Amino acid sequence: MEPLDRDLEEGLLELPSEPMMLNMGPSHPAMHGTVRIVLELSGEMIQKADVQIGYLHRGFEKMCERGTWTQIFPYVDRCNYVSPMLNNVGFALAVEKMLGVTVPERCQYYRVALGELARICDHMICSGAMCMELGAFTPFLYFARAREIIWDIFEEETGARVTHSFGRVGGMASPPTKHFKDMIRAGVPRVLQLINEGEKMLLKNRIFLDRLEGVGVMSKEDALALGWTGVVLRASGVPYDVRRAHPYMVYDRMEFDVPVGTTGDNYDRFMCRQEEIRQTWRIIEQALDQMPDEGPINIEDPRIILPPKQDVYTTIEATIQHFKIVMEGIKVPAGECYSYTEAGNGELGFYLVSDGSGTPYRVRIRPPCFATTQGLEQLITGLMIPDVVPTFGSLNMIGGECDH
Amino acid sequence: MSLVEIVLAVVKILILALFFLNMAALSTWADRRQGAMVQDRVGPNRAVVYLPNMVARVIVLLPPALFGVLAIFSSLGQLAGRAAAERFTMNVQLTILVAWFSLLVLCAKVRSGGAINRAEQMFEDTDPRSIFFAGLGVHAIGLVAGRLVPPAAIPLAAQVSGFVLGGVFLLVGLYATSRVPDGKIPLRLAGTLHALADSVKMIWKEDFIPKNADRLLHGLAPVLAVFSALAVMAVIPFGNDLCFADGNKNGTLDLSDLGHLLATVPASGACNGFRVKLQIIDLNVGILYVFGIAGTGIIGAAIAGWASDNKFALLGGLRASSQMVSYEVAMGLSLVGLFLIYGSVRMSDMAVWQGQNAWGVFVQPLGFVLFLTALCAETKRVPFDQPEGESEIVAGYFLEYSGFKWGMFMTGEYIELVFSSALLVALFFGGYSLPFLHPDGLNIAFGDTVLFQYKMTHLAVSLISAIAFFGKTVFVTWVQIFFRWTLPRFRYDQLMKLGWTKLLPLAIANMMVTGVVVLALRNAGPAADSWLKLLADITQGVVAVATLAGFVAVVVGLLEPVERKKFLASSAARFAAAMGGVKPEPQQA
Repeated sequence: MEPLDRDLEEGLLELPSEPMMLNMGPSHPAMHGTVRIVLELSGEMIQKADVQIGYLHRGFEKMCERGTWTQIFPYVDRCNYVSPMLNNVGFALAVEKMLGVTVPERCQYYRVALGELARICDHMICSGAMCMELGAFTPFLYFARAREIIWDIFEEETGARVTHSFGRVGGMASPPTKHFKDMIRAGVPRVLQLINEGEKMLLKNRIFLDRLEGVGVMSKEDALALGWTGVVLRASGVPYDVRRAHPYMVYDRMEFDVPVGTTGDNYDRFMCRQEEIRQTWRIIEQALDQMPDEGPINIEDPRIILPPKQDVYTTIEATIQHFKIVMEGIKVPAGECYSYTEAGNGELGFYLVSDGSGTPYRVRIRPPCFATTQGLEQLITGLMIPDVVPTFGSLNMIGGECDH
Repeated sequence: MSLVEIVLAVVKILILALFFLNMAALSTWADRRQGAMVQDRVGPNRAVVYLPNMVARVIVLLPPALFGVLAIFSSLGQLAGRAAAERFTMNVQLTILVAWFSLLVLCAKVRSGGAINRAEQMFEDTDPRSIFFAGLGVHAIGLVAGRLVPPAAIPLAAQVSGFVLGGVFLLVGLYATSRVPDGKIPLRLAGTLHALADSVKMIWKEDFIPKNADRLLHGLAPVLAVFSALAVMAVIPFGNDLCFADGNKNGTLDLSDLGHLLATVPASGACNGFRVKLQIIDLNVGILYVFGIAGTGIIGAAIAGWASDNKFALLGGLRASSQMVSYEVAMGLSLVGLFLIYGSVRMSDMAVWQGQNAWGVFVQPLGFVLFLTALCAETKRVPFDQPEGESEIVAGYFLEYSGFKWGMFMTGEYIELVFSSALLVALFFGGYSLPFLHPDGLNIAFGDTVLFQYKMTHLAVSLISAIAFFGKTVFVTWVQIFFRWTLPRFRYDQLMKLGWTKLLPLAIANMMVTGVVVLALRNAGPAADSWLKLLADITQGVVAVATLAGFVAVVVGLLEPVERKKFLASSAARFAAAMGGVKPEPQQA
C-alpha cells in the first residue's frame, strides 16, 4: 500500500524550522584564550561551526621588528603563557642558529631541564582545565597545586613565576642556583604523585570516559593535512616528536618514549598528555644526572654576552661592550633561518630574517596552536554543544600564540 | 477545623519551613565548605562580625547558665516511678556528655592556643581521642551503675543528679567565659555567616531584566521554582504521633487538652485520646502529592528559560524540562515496589511500617539506587546539572537573572536538595523511626527473643523520633553534597539514554520481581512470617551497630591531630618569613 502522504514533500509534514545561530564566545567560560565559535544548531546538534580567532591579537610579529634581538624574549614569553620557558628556549635557539654558535653543555642541560618542567605545567593545566569544564573541579585543583610546586622552582631559579624572560642569546640570564637539582628531585616526584591522585579520580569514572571516548576523532591523514604537530598529532597515531625526529640541544642523549594514540579522539589526546608528563620526568632525571655541576653557562663572546655588572662599573672595555649590546643589539649576520623546537603544543618554529643590524628585519612565528585550531571546525561539526567543551579543551588552544 | 488544629498546623509548618530554609542556607555553605575540604583549601569564611567583649562573654555564659539553672529548678520537685528513673538516667548521661565534650573543647583550645595555668598544662600532650574514648566508657559505666541504684532511692537520685548536672553546666560556662580573650571577638561561625552575608547582598543587588524579556513571566518563574520546593514538605512525617487525653471530657480536642499529654502509649502506638500527627497534613495520596507538586518545578525552569530572551537560557530551559520529565517516569516507577511492600502510599503508614519491620533500603535496595539517581536528576545536581552546565551554556535557564530572583532559584534548588534528603529518609531510611525504638520505649528483640527492654515516656519517644528524623535528613543532605565537586557531568544524550534505556527498564523489572516475591510471601504461611520478622530485626540491629560504629569512626577521624607536611616553600615565602612576614607558604600539600 502506498503511503497516504506520497504527494506531500517531506518538509511539509513538519513544523517549519530553521537552524538556530548561537555565538559561543569570545566571552564564554569554555572559550579560554578568547576564541569565538559561531554555531548553527539543530536542537543541540552542531550543523555548522565557524571558528573565529583574533581576539587576542597584539601584533607580536610587528612588535619584534622594533627592538633588539634580546628584547624579544618578553614577547615570546607571552605567546604561550602556560609554558613560557619552552618559547624562551626556542627563540634563543633560533637566534643562535643564525649566529652559528652553540651554548656550553651545562647550559644545554639546564635549558632541557627547565623546558621540560614547563612542559609538565603545560600538559597538566590543559588536562586539568578540560576536567574542570566537564564539571570535575577537584582534579583541576590538584593539578594546579602540582603546578605551584613547579612554579616555586621557577621562581627560585628565574625570579618570576610565570613570565620568566630567562632565556638569552648565547646562554641564560643566570646560572643554576645551588639547590637546583635538589629542588627538582624533591619537587617533581610530589608533582607526579598529585597527578596520579587526580587521574585516579578520572580514569575510573564512567561519566568522564564516556564524555571523552570516541568524541572529536581526527584521523591520521587529516591531522597531517591540517599541519597538526605535537600531542594532538601523536594522539592521532603519528609518532612525530621534534625532540626525537630532529634532536636539538642534548635530546639525542636522552632515553624516552614517544606516546602515540590510536584513534585520535579526546581520550587519546588526554592520555597522551598524561603519559608525556611521565616521559618528561624521565628526561629531567637524565638531564640532572648528566648535567655538570661546574662550568660556564654562557658562551664566551663579548659581542653576544653582556659583561658582568661589576666590570661594567669599573672598566672601560666592559662599559663599551655593555653599551654596544644594549643600545645597538647583538649583530646577527644577514640571512634567514628557520629553527623549530618541540613546545608544549607541538612544533614551535621561528623564521628569522636579519639584515645584519641589531634589530630583526622579520620575525615569523609558527605557533602550533594556529594549525591545531583550524581543525576544530572539522572536529565539532556533527557533535553536540557539550562536546565542544572537551574537544576544544583537549586541543589546548593558547590565544597568545595563535593570534600572532 | 477547630482553632487548636489551626494553631497546631501553623506550628508544624513553622517547624518544617524553618528547618528547610535554614538547612538550605547551611547547605549552600556546606557545599562550598566541603568542596574546599576535598580540595584542601579554605572555604568561605570571610564574613565576620566583631562582637564587643562583654557581649561575647554573655553569649558564652548564657546558654550553659540557662541550662544549668533549668536543670536545678526542674529537679526541685519530687518525681516518681518511671519518670524519675528516666530523669535520673538522662541527667547522668547528660552530665557525662557535657563533661567530656567540654574537656574535648578545652583540649583543642590548649593544643592550638597554649595553656594558661597549671591545670591546663596536662592537656598539652593529651590525645583528644583518648578523652572521647574515656567519655564513651563512662557513658556505658553510667548506664550500668544507674541500674544498681535501689528503686526506693531513685527519686532522690534523680534530684541529686539534676543538681550535679546544673553544677557542671554552670562550672563549664564560667570557665569558658573566663577564657574569652580580651578585645573585640571576631565571630565567623565556621563561615556560616557567609551564607547570611550572601543573602543580604542579593537583596540589594540590581534586579536586571533584559530589554526584550517577557517581564511578567520573567518575574513569575523564580516564584514557581520556590513554590514547588516549599509546598512538597506538607506530607513529610517528622516525628512519632503525639497522643493527648480528653482532659475536660467534652469529646473534642481543644486548647486545654494540649496540657494532657499521655504519659505512655502501648507498643502498637494505639491512642485512645486525640492523636496529633507530627506531619503538616496526612494526605491519603501521600507520595503522589509529592510527585505532582515537584513536577510543577519544571514549569519554573522552562518559563525562566523561555522568558529570558537568551539562547543559552532557552537551551537550559529545554534541557531542564526534558530531563525532569524523563526522570520523573523512572522516579515514580522505581517506588512502585516499595508501595507493594508497604501496602500504602500514605507517608505516615510508610514510617510506621519501617519502624515495625525493616527500613526501606533493605527491602528495596535496587529501588533505592534507582530512586536516588532519579532524584539527583530531578534536583539538577552534579552530575545531572546540564540545565545549568556553566561551561557549556554559561548558566542555563537562570542566566539572565540577578539579585534576589537569582537568589530564589538558588534557594529553591537547595530546598529541593534538603527536601529530597527528607524524602529519602521518609521512604528508605525509616522515616522518624529508630531501630528498636517503639512507642512504649526501647525493646531490643530478635524474633521472639527479647534481649533488653526499657520503658520510656511517650513525650521522650516523640522527641527522640523527631530529632532522629531531622538528624537523618541532615546526614543524607551532607552525603548528597559530597556527590558534587568530583563528578564530571553527563552529556545531554547520554543522560537521556541512561534515563530511558537503563533506569526505566530496571525500575519495571524491580516492580515485577517485587510483585512476585510479595505475592509468594503472603501465601507462604506463618513460618515464613516469623522468619521474615527475625530478618527484619536483624537489619534493625545492623543499622544500630553500624550507626554507633560510624559515629565513633567519624568523631575519631575528626579528632585525629592534623599534621601537615610543609614542603618546599618558595623563595618569596621564605624571604617573607625571614623578614617576619606572614605570607603563607603555598606548599602545604
